[in-house]
Amino acid sequence: MAVPGSGRPFTLSVISPERKLFEGEAKFVVVPAFDGELGILYGHAPLMALLGSGALRVETTAGTRRFRVSGGFVQIADNEVAVVSERAEEA
Amino acid sequence: MMKAQDIRRRIRSVQNTRQITRTMEMVAASKLRRAQARVQGARPYAAKLSEVIARLFVPDLAERHAILRQPEEIRNSALVLLTSNRGLAGGFNVNLIRHARFTLDELREAGVEVEFHVIGKKGIRFFRYRREPMATERQDISDRPTMEDARSIIDPLLARFESGELDAVDVVYAQFKSAISTPPARMRILPVEPSRGPEAARPLDYIFEPSSEEILTFVLPLYVRNAAYRVLVETAAAEQGARRTAMKNATDNADELIRTLTLQYNKARQAQITRELTEITGGSEALRG
Repeated sequence: MAVPGSGRPFTLSVISPERKLFEGEAKFVVVPAFDGELGILYGHAPLMALLGSGALRVETTAGTRRFRVSGGFVQIADNEVAVVSERAEEA
Repeated sequence: MMKAQDIRRRIRSVQNTRQITRTMEMVAASKLRRAQARVQGARPYAAKLSEVIARLFVPDLAERHAILRQPEEIRNSALVLLTSNRGLAGGFNVNLIRHARFTLDELREAGVEVEFHVIGKKGIRFFRYRREPMATERQDISDRPTMEDARSIIDPLLARFESGELDAVDVVYAQFKSAISTPPARMRILPVEPSRGPEAARPLDYIFEPSSEEILTFVLPLYVRNAAYRVLVETAAAEQGARRTAMKNATDNADELIRTLTLQYNKARQAQITRELTEITGGSEALRG
């Protein structure tokens, strides 16, 4: 049984103080929130959560990309996901 | 009138200088492009932070969180001046220093005890000469400032603001309006003035993990640090812009000077030939006579 929202793309941006590391469509994102990993699919409820440190996994239509993030927050609203981290880099 | 030989020597000297200024102009232009990209790269992050703070801020939080405190009266403040480590950038550092002195006077007249932090060799040199006491003197910020640089400057000040030791933190920096317009400006980094942006008018039922209050207290220091980072990158870009303009003017002036000198040289040379000819004919006339 398919999870509702799985496979549908939404907008994601990964932003560090220096620059935008990623901006585009993603189908599934795993974010290291402060209290554990958080999976995001299309149609997620509006959410604002603090980040811990760890790996950020992004499933795009073109493949998987990984980032290391530490501190910051994630904001989800209207299928727009913004991962804003003080220290972020592509792994 | 100068002798032809002397003029030629001067032309050569001006040409050498021109080559240096021309090279510096091109180096500054390429550094400027990269610095400009960094200024622009910093915008999305800053925009997100302001958006989130505007959304989360509630006035009565200010009483519970030290970072949000709004002192009624400013008694002790810190002034941070950003200047460059290198010169040959036209009026860049002079303008910044003038603005800083103006700000210092203004604050002191208002009865504020100001602690002065100077960054960049040019500013330090000036205020040492003036025997102005400086709380910190730093020359280790490169022309490619990082978030770490920003942290190292602002974090101690932020901590002292929270403890109540400081009531305000101002920065005098160079605003990067465009490559040719880089006026000095003052920015009050602390206390934080949460702006009521248009985002506040987008009411969404957010789930907050943890509470909105905790998120706000976490995001505020990021906002303050980001403000510090932004003034650093703007000043770095402004420096390159100012240097490029200054060096372009120098190169143009050298061109102008070479043109005038070449004209003078040709005149002197012709005059010399004419004089020699008259001397020769005069001499032979005398012999014949």
